[in-house]
Formats: sequence, structure tokens, C-alpha cells
Amino acid sequence: MITAEQQRGWAETLMSHTDADQSGQGPGWLVAARTAARQAVAELPVLDRKQEAWRYTSIEALLKHRFRPASGAVDVPERDINACLLPEFDSYRLVFANGRYDPQLSSIKDLPDGVSVGNLRAGLTSDPELLVTWFGHAANHTEHVFTAMNTALVNDGVFVHVESQVQLDRPIEVIYLSQVDEDPLLMQPRNLIVLDAGAKATLVERFIGFGQSAYFHNNLSEISVGQSATLKHYRVQDESRSAYHLSSLYLSQQAQSRYHGTTLAFGGAWARTEYNTTFKQEGAVCELNGLYTVGDQQLTDFHLNVQHSVPGCVSREQFKGVLYGKGRAVFDGRILVDKQAQHSDAQLSNDNLMLSRNAEVDTKPQLEIYADDVKCSHGTTVGQLDPQQVFYLRSRGIDETTARKMLCLGFAAEVLDSIDVPALRDAASRKLSDTLNAAVEERGGKT
Amino acid sequence: MLSIKNLHVAIEDKAILRGLNLDIGSGEVHAIMGPNGSGKSTLSHVLAGREGYQVTAGEVLYEGQDLLALEPEQRAHQGIFLGMQYPVELPGVNNMMFMRESLNAIHRARGEAELDALEFMQRVREKARLVELDEQLLKRNVNAGFSGGEKKRNEILQMAMLEPRLAILDETDSGLDIDALRIIAGGVNALRSPQRSIILITHYQRLLDYIQPDIVHVLVEGRIVRSGDKQLALELEEKGYGWIEQGAAA
Repeated sequence: MITAEQQRGWAETLMSHTDADQSGQGPGWLVAARTAARQAVAELPVLDRKQEAWRYTSIEALLKHRFRPASGAVDVPERDINACLLPEFDSYRLVFANGRYDPQLSSIKDLPDGVSVGNLRAGLTSDPELLVTWFGHAANHTEHVFTAMNTALVNDGVFVHVESQVQLDRPIEVIYLSQVDEDPLLMQPRNLIVLDAGAKATLVERFIGFGQSAYFHNNLSEISVGQSATLKHYRVQDESRSAYHLSSLYLSQQAQSRYHGTTLAFGGAWARTEYNTTFKQEGAVCELNGLYTVGDQQLTDFHLNVQHSVPGCVSREQFKGVLYGKGRAVFDGRILVDKQAQHSDAQLSNDNLMLSRNAEVDTKPQLEIYADDVKCSHGTTVGQLDPQQVFYLRSRGIDETTARKMLCLGFAAEVLDSIDVPALRDAASRKLSDTLNAAVEERGGKT
Repeated sequence: MLSIKNLHVAIEDKAILRGLNLDIGSGEVHAIMGPNGSGKSTLSHVLAGREGYQVTAGEVLYEGQDLLALEPEQRAHQGIFLGMQYPVELPGVNNMMFMRESLNAIHRARGEAELDALEFMQRVREKARLVELDEQLLKRNVNAGFSGGEKKRNEILQMAMLEPRLAILDETDSGLDIDALRIIAGGVNALRSPQRSIILITHYQRLLDYIQPDIVHVLVEGRIVRSGDKQLALELEEKGYGWIEQGAAA
């Protein structure tokens, strides 16, 4: 059991580290935001089991590590960098190595007119008005201790702005590369993505971790999708097996906008993704897809908070998990339909495939509906591979291990297929296939 | 090629097959008929190696070897094919990819060369024409959203692709309208050969109008109680299973 004092002490030790001190840097509004967030850390409640949103996800192990904020350049071996690049993927690329923007590894030449892609620090100089308008527009800095910490120590991250009616010709790719072999490190990218009216873009975020030591990647993104704009946002979390990962996404959507988000969560010892969606105007569509695999010593957690606060918006949430070994997963999908949000259309599903008896999932779809003319549904399943399906494949000459793997891949196919960047989808499919090799074999195939 | 001797099989300690004897020679087509619950499907499942059945006595020799000692996939490698009564849907598993994986697994097990993508495509298109299966169904997931008739045609397509030495067709005619039945029967007839034996398991004589068996067996309460030529099927149709059951009890 953790106490409020422990949590506060842990956060304050981290924030008082000399490497963390950004207090004097940046414009006044940013300094003020940092200061306010720092104060909030001291007052925020402890994230213990009494907090409904943290009931199944203990932060106890996280708080045992004495993280220090990452600083300075990291020397990532060329082999590791090359392993991260996807062949045949033509993108505008930003690389953050241990949380620091690396201009050498990044490649953002020849951006079309009306598009800014770069790091947040550069944005403070190049687009100060945009930043003051949009920084903090969607995020709740006092959601919990980690969002407050991200704000209190805000330093750098991704900055994307696509002007009205501009369509990006290639995806923007962000690689967060972590290489931690010594002291546990904290990385806190702070991202701001703004699409003006009618803009179209694809954003790919890839989290890749190397090394044996623990690190905490505490990522916070604010995303604004303007009127009739479309953002496709694909995220592949492949952190190291010693990593703690938290992604807090805050999304605000204007009229007729479309957001397609797919997150694939493969890595990490402890990984949580929070989606907060707010519809600001009517006719917006938000689609959230997710796939997670968890094995021994892994916990993966998805929290969705989709707020239908205006009429006539559509949300689709489809999350699938493959659990093996002693893997643990948590899914909490909350959809709130306010009284005035008539004609809302929301569908949520969470399906879990359990390959072992020792795996565990806590799944909780929550529909809170206060309007009376809506179309909403939710469904959750927890099941195993169907022996009849396994037998069907075996009767056609396919060995049991391959049969089980084919069925697992089939289970995941819908989520993978929601990624319409072929190079990324293929890489994710290979990653999934490798993961499943271990998953289906460890059980020896016997029931 | 197949010799079943005194086979006793139980499901959860309930005896289903009780001393079944059957010999099938190369190239022969045998029909097995019988009322509900007589053990027809149990026999087909046991031959294909499905789990959940206890063989309590007897033996099954296939090409002189102990069939029951083999895993289901090994049986497929050795040329056994089961056309399912209720083919399952495989969500997310592409039909074409599935058939290629299946064919190549069998080729690998036999030490034969795998088919390349082009050879495979040619072969699957040719065989799909045989059972008049819409090529669009090859691109879909296995049996997903297929009609009853399409599922059965997909089974016969797999039989045509895998070229088994022994095909067991478990109530392939159930749920088919007359046109679908004719197409399926046409496909099966085209696959008849002196090297290929077929067991047709069916409830009704109707199928046998289209696929003429060499021998008809009647299965009652887990035993073959009568064997004969196709006249026997016609007689059964006329008099019903009660006629045989009374004889069997006597």
C-alpha cells in the first residue's frame, strides 16, 4: 500500500533534481504553467486502489524506482537506430532519444507550405502565438500526479501544425528511442498536434526501448482536430521489458472532424494508455482501436474516456488483447453521453483471448447515457481459442502450434487492418507474429 | 487401405461405437447411413483424430499402420481428409492463405516442393471452377459469412486441392438445396479415382442418386448391421430405419 506522503515524496525528489529544473526557461505563460502544476503535485490524491481509475493498476513498483530526469545526449549505437527504421517507409521523421530531440537522426526536409513539424522548443520560437493558444487547451494538468509532473517539467516534445485545407503528402513519424543501461531515467515528451479546418495528416508514433534498466516514459499529447479535418494516428508501443510507460492523450474535435486512432501495445513491464476525447461540435467521428499482448511480468492498461457532450457525434472503440503466461491487462472504457448529446452513436467492444490459465484481465466497459435518443452499445468478451477451430486447421495438415498462431493472428487482424500505412502494418504484423511464437509455444499446446 | 476392427468409442463414458467393423479398398466409395445418434459423426471424427473421444477397444489400420496413434495433422499428411458437417468459421484467417498453408504443410511433411504463389493461384482457380465457387469467396475469411452451400463447396474445394487418398464426407449433403447438391456431387464424382477411397456419411438416400456408392452400410447403435449395394439405400428410403432396427434388435 502506498501513501500520499510516499507519492508526494517520490514526485518532489524527482522534480527537485537539478536536471529537471526548467523553471527559468521559456515564456512567462509556460513558467506559470510549470509552477501551477508543481504545486498541484503536492495536493493531488494518492493513486491507490481506492481511486476507481487506478483500482487494478498499482503504481507501487513504479514508485520504488528513483528515476532521474534524462538529460544530455544519448549515444545510441547505429545498429539500434537502423533496426528502428522501417524499410520502404517514406516519412517526415522526428527522433527523440531518451526524451531529447535529436536533429541528426530526424529528417524533416521539404515540408509542404502550411505545415510545421518539429520539436516543441523550436516551436516556442517559431510559433509563439500558436503555442500560447493551444498549450493546455485540452489537457487536464491536474488529472493525476503524472500529468501534473509532465507539465511541471515540460521541456520538449513534438510540435505539429497543419494549416487550413493542407493535406500532408507523407506521414509524420515520431520515434521515441530509449536506451537505458544505468540509472533509471524519466522521459517526459510533451506533444502538441494542431490540425486546422480541412487539414489532413497521418501521425505515426513509435516507442522503442533498448537496455536493461528501468525507465519511465511519461508522455502527454494534446491534439486538436479542426472542422472537417482528418487525423490518422497510429501508435506502436514496443518499450523494453523493464520500462514503465504512460501515454495520456487529450483530444478535442471540431465539427465534422475525423480522428482514427490505433494503438498497438506490445512492450513494457507496466504500460498504460489514456485516451480522453471531447467533441466540441456536432458531426465529429472518433475511432479508437487497440491491440495489446501481455505475457509474464507485463501489465498493460487502457483507459478510455469519450465524452459525447454535443449532439450527433460518432465514436467507435474496438480493443483486443492476447494474454499469455502470467500477463495482466486492464481495460476501462468509459463513454459519457450528456443530456443534450442527442443522436450520439457509440459502440465499444473489448475482446480478450486468454492463452493461459495464469493470465488475468480486468475489463470494464461503462456507458453513461443521459440523453434519450441515442444509439449506443458495448460488449466485452474473455475467451480461449476454440478447439473446433484448432481441430479444423489441424485436420488440414497444419500443426497445432501454427494453427493456434494463425487463429491468434486472425483474432488480431481487424485491429491491424485499421492501420492504412502498409510499412507500419507489416512491421507490426511481424512483431505480433514473433510475440505469438513465444505465446503459443510456452503452453506446449495442450489444454 | 482402411480396416476398422471391433472399434469401440465412448464420449464421456457413454458408449457410441460398439464393435464397428469396416474394410475399404482402394478406389471404393462406401456410403454409411443410419439414424440420428447411431454414431456416424463419431466415426468420422475418430478417423480424423478429433479430441474428446475415448477409444476403448479395437483398432484402425490405414495403409497397414495404426491410424489412431497419429495426430490429426499427421493423418492429413498421410492423405486423410474430413469434409466437415459443420465447417467452422475462422475469423481473420484468409481463405486463400489458409489453403496455401494447408497444402504447403502437407507438401513439406511429405518432403515435396511447396507450390509458389503463381502455381497455387492457378490450381485454386481451376479447382474453384470445379465446385462453382465464386472466386470472391477465396479472398474472404474462411467460411465467414458463407451460406450453408458455400461452406460445403469450400470443403469440396479443399478436398480437390489436397487430393486425399481417403476422403470422409460427413453429411456433406445436409442443408443443401437440389442445385447445390448437384454441384457438390459433380465435384466429388470428378475426384473419384482408383487411388482414392471415399466414405460418404449421410442421412438420406438422395445424395446417392448423384454419387453412386459401391457399397452401402447401415449403422445402428454403433454397429454396422447391414451392408449391401445401392439397392439397400433405396430399400431404407422406402421402409425407414425402423425396419433395420427391428432386425438388429432381433
